Amino acid sequence: MILSASGLVKTFPGVRALDGASLSLAAGSVHALLGENGAGKSTLVKILTGVYRPDGGTIELDGKPVHFTGPLDALRAGIGVVHQERNLVTEFSVAENIVLHHLPRRFGVVRRSRVRDEARRCLDLLDLDLDPDAPVSTLSVAQAQLVEIAKALSVDNRVLLLDEPTASLTGDEADRLYAIVRKLTGSGHAVVLVSHKLEEVFAVADTVTVLRDGRSVAEGQPLSAYTRDEVVDLMVGRAHAAVSLAARTPLSSDAAALSLTDVATSYGHADVSFDVAPGEIYGLYGLVGAGRTELAKALLGLGSVTAGTVSVHGTPVRISGVGEALRRHRIGYVTENRKEEGLFLEQPITRNIGVTVWHRLTRLGLIRDRAEASLVDDYRQRLGIRLATPKQLAGQLSGGNQQKVSLAKWLAADCGILIVDEPTVGIDVRTKAAFHELIAGLAGQGMAILLISSDLPEIVTLADRIGVMAGFRLRGELPNDGDYERMSQSIIRLIHTPLIPAAPH
Amino acid sequence: MTALLETPPEAPAARARSLPLWANPRLGLLVLLVVLVVLFTALRPSFLDVDFTLVPMQADISVYVVVGLAQLAVLSLGHMNMAVGRMAAMSAFAMGLAYQELGTPLVVDVLIGLAVGAGLGALAGLVISRTGVNSFVVTLALDFALVGLVSLLYAKATDGVSFGAQPGGMAALRTDTFADYCAGNVCGPPVPLIVPIAVVAALLVGLLFRWSRTGREILMTGASVKAAELSGIPVGRRVVQAHALSGLLSGLAGFLLAVNNGAFSAGIGDAFLLPSFLAPVLGGTLLVGGAVSVLGTFLGATITQVIYKGLNLLQFQVDQLKLYIGLVLIVALSLDRVRHVLAERRGARA
Amino acid sequence: MTAVAFSPRVFRTSEFTLGVVAFAGFVGLTIATSGNMLSAGTLAAFFRFLAVPMVIGLAQMVVLAIGQMNLSVGVLTGFCAMASAWLMIEAGLPAWLAVLAALALGALVGLVNGLLVVFTRINAFIVTLATMTIIEGLRYGVHGPDTFQDYSPGLVRLGRASILGLPVVFVVAVVVAIGVGLFFARTVAGRHLLASGGSPFAARLSGVSNDRSILLAHALSGLLAGVAAVLTVALSGSVNASIGDDLLLPSFAAPIIGGVALAGGVVSVTGTCLAAFLVRLVDVARAQFGIGQQWVDLIVGAVVLGVVLIGAVRGKLASRPSRPATSAGSSRRTS
Repeated sequence: MILSASGLVKTFPGVRALDGASLSLAAGSVHALLGENGAGKSTLVKILTGVYRPDGGTIELDGKPVHFTGPLDALRAGIGVVHQERNLVTEFSVAENIVLHHLPRRFGVVRRSRVRDEARRCLDLLDLDLDPDAPVSTLSVAQAQLVEIAKALSVDNRVLLLDEPTASLTGDEADRLYAIVRKLTGSGHAVVLVSHKLEEVFAVADTVTVLRDGRSVAEGQPLSAYTRDEVVDLMVGRAHAAVSLAARTPLSSDAAALSLTDVATSYGHADVSFDVAPGEIYGLYGLVGAGRTELAKALLGLGSVTAGTVSVHGTPVRISGVGEALRRHRIGYVTENRKEEGLFLEQPITRNIGVTVWHRLTRLGLIRDRAEASLVDDYRQRLGIRLATPKQLAGQLSGGNQQKVSLAKWLAADCGILIVDEPTVGIDVRTKAAFHELIAGLAGQGMAILLISSDLPEIVTLADRIGVMAGFRLRGELPNDGDYERMSQSIIRLIHTPLIPAAPH
Repeated sequence: MTALLETPPEAPAARARSLPLWANPRLGLLVLLVVLVVLFTALRPSFLDVDFTLVPMQADISVYVVVGLAQLAVLSLGHMNMAVGRMAAMSAFAMGLAYQELGTPLVVDVLIGLAVGAGLGALAGLVISRTGVNSFVVTLALDFALVGLVSLLYAKATDGVSFGAQPGGMAALRTDTFADYCAGNVCGPPVPLIVPIAVVAALLVGLLFRWSRTGREILMTGASVKAAELSGIPVGRRVVQAHALSGLLSGLAGFLLAVNNGAFSAGIGDAFLLPSFLAPVLGGTLLVGGAVSVLGTFLGATITQVIYKGLNLLQFQVDQLKLYIGLVLIVALSLDRVRHVLAERRGARA
Repeated sequence: MTAVAFSPRVFRTSEFTLGVVAFAGFVGLTIATSGNMLSAGTLAAFFRFLAVPMVIGLAQMVVLAIGQMNLSVGVLTGFCAMASAWLMIEAGLPAWLAVLAALALGALVGLVNGLLVVFTRINAFIVTLATMTIIEGLRYGVHGPDTFQDYSPGLVRLGRASILGLPVVFVVAVVVAIGVGLFFARTVAGRHLLASGGSPFAARLSGVSNDRSILLAHALSGLLAGVAAVLTVALSGSVNASIGDDLLLPSFAAPIIGGVALAGGVVSVTGTCLAAFLVRLVDVARAQFGIGQQWVDLIVGAVVLGVVLIGAVRGKLASRPSRPATSAGSSRRTS
């Protein structure tokens, strides 16, 4: 084993991100690290590369215990990494970014020719034809990603960690990347691959570790021992399958609460048509970057609808902002980006919930604190928000409770139409089930819900009908019969079918 | 800035709200204020002399509380207003001009001047919200432009320095205290007439940010623009309103200083910029936005003026006093930081 | 691919625009004064009084490079100037030693600013606001309200001397500017500093110490304030406690007009110097035509506002969400 970690624990305020995770890695192999969103994969990667320090557990390199004091420390020990977030200095050139951690120098002066040569060498490893002098700000997302990989290769690493390396790559680019991965393992490197794309994982990886709720539920097993379904079961746990929701009958009414006809937007959507009835959950499924969140934002007036009609309860509307959507049309939007867009982390919970309804709580122009407090108390009980005091800051809550607060403000505003974007990202499995019941319950009360999700089990569990989006277009719509196997296969076929002619293999 | 810290993005820093009482920075300021007053009184009993110290000091505090509030109005957004001084000057000019040209009574002149201040602030807010350019840059540029404009305007409309005639009532505001309107020393405290103006302004600003929808939405915008926009807050309008309020309060501070000086003059506001930051920052309002403390600003302005007056009585030179003000600021902030860290650790263990 | 494709990048930089404006302004002023600008005396005076604004702009720029501000540059210049004059007159030190002491003092105070920022984690704006007030007191403390004069005649002579028709002080400022430019462009420390400013997290992952970058930036800012102080001492022949009072706001104006982002990560030595040149041009025009000082402020304010507005509009046009079948972005995105 080149690298082995065992019993890793890492706690953030309100969240236990890792709770005894283990991982071991043999030279010359590709090791897949799998798990659902929030299972702790990225935290584990950050601990192994010295970004975070673990609260407990050990890391051994070549059988000797190591303690990384920082990212550079891990790098020097031979562990290279490409993080999920982009980590390039956009103002700098490609070459300089690649060698930033060991700029060739003489008497403190950067040797530019050496920088370029070194960068050239790394780019050649990847068969990349990029100008080393081009500023990173001029690159496409995929190119920047490849530059990061080149950067990770610039040190003579024995271990390379790739966190979702193909998330923004095309099929060709991904193939080229995996060819390089194989070349590296051929020369004795060990590669850890974190990816959501199971097809890729099964094509490339030799062994697998599965994380669930911060623990390793399968560790260092040969991947060939599992079928894809078995891996999925390990990731989501049996708890998920056990959720059974009370049957709902969507209120049949001919006036859809929200309906889109041939909508095009400034983000680049075209020909999007669907409708959501009161009491119905319409699932909008698609992978990251398919244009689902952008569609929601266009509907709210944050982008613009350039063609087609959006109707609310049968009346064509033009919405210019969230305030108008909320107050005139009673449309709420629970964002996927809870920490930046959904919550005011440094404000108390009362204000986070009251923010949408202050105009209703005023008397003589002043907000009545007591009315606000009783409102918060009401939603605390209804949604089961666990908090120490209503004055607590939203940032101090756990992920699930944060999401409930983020939802509560729209319920308080008495929305008739709710757009829920990736409601359970980063939330543990148990809370997730409770959330699903909550959303189903809201639909049961007659709310029209547009559920945006890239979580297949979630969308199959909740949605009445499922629209599949890819490349800013709706690829098709399926009635949900609740059979997970069949539904997931149909959905995946819908996503990929139109793409196959475009990507020859 | 937070990205520089070791703290991972998942761990937001807790703020004063959930801390124990002893960690309340306002309490520390109050203690400091009492200590300073006792100290100066012990060294120079004349520190408590009504006519020579207390009355003029109250008048000065009134001015600088309002100056601090003018800055606080935009600190609530996480913005800055580098042109507080010049907005005050323009506002005072408008007041003087209104009286000179129209002969209107004092109240009307003041209202005209305040409208000019609010207008300038709104203009800055409009540019900031429309272009997304940093408030520091926009208000700095505005300050430059107004510096020139103010002296040009005074040169045009007056002898170049100040208006010759002042509206009736200014002199009374300047010299009289409530004690003058009472029989003997029985009632009426020796409080200058302008003090209530500052107090009312502070109360209204406090009310605005604490209990009004507009004020709270400004604070929420300061806490997170993205989240505010996605919660249906009209972000652009709130930015303009906060800057307009800043301009209005700058104008009011200009008026109060003109009252103290006895004339609307071109030099009004020249020395406003630093105290405008000093008072709120000393009072615990940070530059990040989302939280303000009116009471802290009041205490901050008071402490600054007490130090000035006290050291002055001890025959320190004016410029040298600044040394101590700066030291107090840095010590207060560092202690605040230490106390904060301690309180958080204690909270984490409990 | 229209005309944009033909023009190399350099023509689209803000430095180039500034350069054109500066040159046009200079030519315009020369014509308007019927050549008087080019007379030896006027020209020398023009460049002599350009030196300090240039250096003070750079002093602010190095802190803006890490996304922070230094409010103490102006008073620090005054303090160092007073301290070096005191060393020459009261302590009887030779001029060269006093000059070195002023530079060291500037760097030291800057370092203290940096240490306070790093250890207290308080916003640099507030920290330097506090140190600015303190330094103001210190500056006054050196010699009270009185003026130092008749220090080192050699230094003063140097301040008035010229090399090849260019004032020595201006040459010094240019050398300093080149040094700062090379520091950011070529040295490891300079590149690390910019990386910290542009993207602190990425810098940290690459083993760059952001704290060290903060310390270095503030120390360098202090050192440059020290340089400005020495230039002032040499230029004016007498110094008092008001030196530096009028430098703070111009210190921001030069880098901002010059295209330096407040967010950090980007510097432009050329832009900052050209902006200082422009401001000086307005000042000279004022003197030539007998216009009041207030017009300079008015114009500088309008220019800063204009520059940021144009920048914002340009940025908005460039980042407009791509619409299918429109021309937006077609000139930029070729990949």
